[in-house]
Amino acid sequence: MVRAALTPPRRIGQGPSRFAVYVPAVTVVLASFLAALPIISTSGWYPDFGYLVFISWRLLRADPWPAWWAAPLGFVNDLFTGYPVGFSIALWSATMLALDLIDRRTMWRDYWIEWVVAAVLIVLDEWLQWRVAKVADGAPPFVAMVPPLVISICVFPAFAWFVSRIDAWRLGR
Amino acid sequence: MATARPGWSRRAQYGLFFSFLAVIAGIIVGLILLALSLVSPESFQTVRGAALDVTAPVSGALHEVTETTEGVFTGAGNYWDAARQNAELKRQNKAMLRRMVEARAIFLENQQLKATLQLRQSERTTIAVGRIVGSSFNSPRRFAILSAGTSQGVAGGMPVRSPDGLVGRIIEAGALASRVLLVSDRANIVPARLLRNGIPVIAQGRGDGTVDVRPLEVGRNPFKPGDIIVSSGTGGLYPPSVPVARVVKLQGDDAIALPLADPATISFAIVEPPFEPAAIAAQPAAADAP
Repeated sequence: MVRAALTPPRRIGQGPSRFAVYVPAVTVVLASFLAALPIISTSGWYPDFGYLVFISWRLLRADPWPAWWAAPLGFVNDLFTGYPVGFSIALWSATMLALDLIDRRTMWRDYWIEWVVAAVLIVLDEWLQWRVAKVADGAPPFVAMVPPLVISICVFPAFAWFVSRIDAWRLGR
Repeated sequence: MATARPGWSRRAQYGLFFSFLAVIAGIIVGLILLALSLVSPESFQTVRGAALDVTAPVSGALHEVTETTEGVFTGAGNYWDAARQNAELKRQNKAMLRRMVEARAIFLENQQLKATLQLRQSERTTIAVGRIVGSSFNSPRRFAILSAGTSQGVAGGMPVRSPDGLVGRIIEAGALASRVLLVSDRANIVPARLLRNGIPVIAQGRGDGTVDVRPLEVGRNPFKPGDIIVSSGTGGLYPPSVPVARVVKLQGDDAIALPLADPATISFAIVEPPFEPAAIAAQPAAADAP
């Protein structure tokens, strides 16, 4: 018996919020918009907020948004963060596809597997960013990418928790 | 689930198949756009400029808040008399160091002017003054957001400096804000010289807030910790005799230097026209890829 069944029933008439379908996409856009924070850093160690929220939603649910929404969401992320246009469009669409394939292969899921999958995706994201920067002659040695990688992987559970709270709120649980 | 088999319903199967195609299309479109933006960075100027105009006012407002909060705390700290005096002395010291650097640069420049009397004297003008309100804090590139845009006359390729030293150059301009390629970005190469003896050097960012300085001539390492690097004006983009960085560490034939203008602490930045536009126009298009 699941824990939810043990808790007393909530108010009658409480259901999913009216914009439940759009809430996940909106949170991703808001996370991308965090790039507007007045943080002036000379090291670039902050995580890619938009991507973290994106994979948090996708790992929590198989259908937080129609699969093709990944492209426009990525476009918004590119514009706000200043990545070369097209980078997040391609990466985020590919992430949707890759996670679909992983969903078919995995026998079970738990927090550790999700964290490992997220870590692999974050490593890919940072490595591709580094690779693209290298094409534009602007990449530091890859060693310089290790601290932001570790930071991103370590904060992922916080983002996953945050997204699960929002999910509970949007579905009126 | 774009790849799972939903059952026997033809309609559901087609729906999934088309969403699968849509994702593939998304990847392909993304890759094409990425290639385009790497090959010709100017192609997305307008849309990126518009995005800057959306984000920069928010950053600017938040920046005000953090600055005020910081100001309250530093103000409280300054009630302690020793701290106040210390701050005052530091400020004076910094101002004097700045003046000294300028004076020595002018002295050096005068020597060169005397040597080549035909050199044309160009007048420095200020195009716009803005504040640094944000940065690319989640990217391996080093960009900053400046709160001045095309409405003030800012355009791509213009050098940006602060009273402390060189900040970088504009690579994208929106109507209200623009993106600055910082001196510490790896793609930013500043022709410079050693202030102490005028040896020509090249300053290239390292992507982590520091700058790598190399002498143009191979041989003995000419640097000493504490050396000031000033721009030389070669190439025609950056104006000459603007302080760039201070050497902190020697490394083989090179030296590692800290930019004198820290984007996090400078209160305002000045956009200037390119030093010698004619010289830049004569060169093949500079690699300004973001």
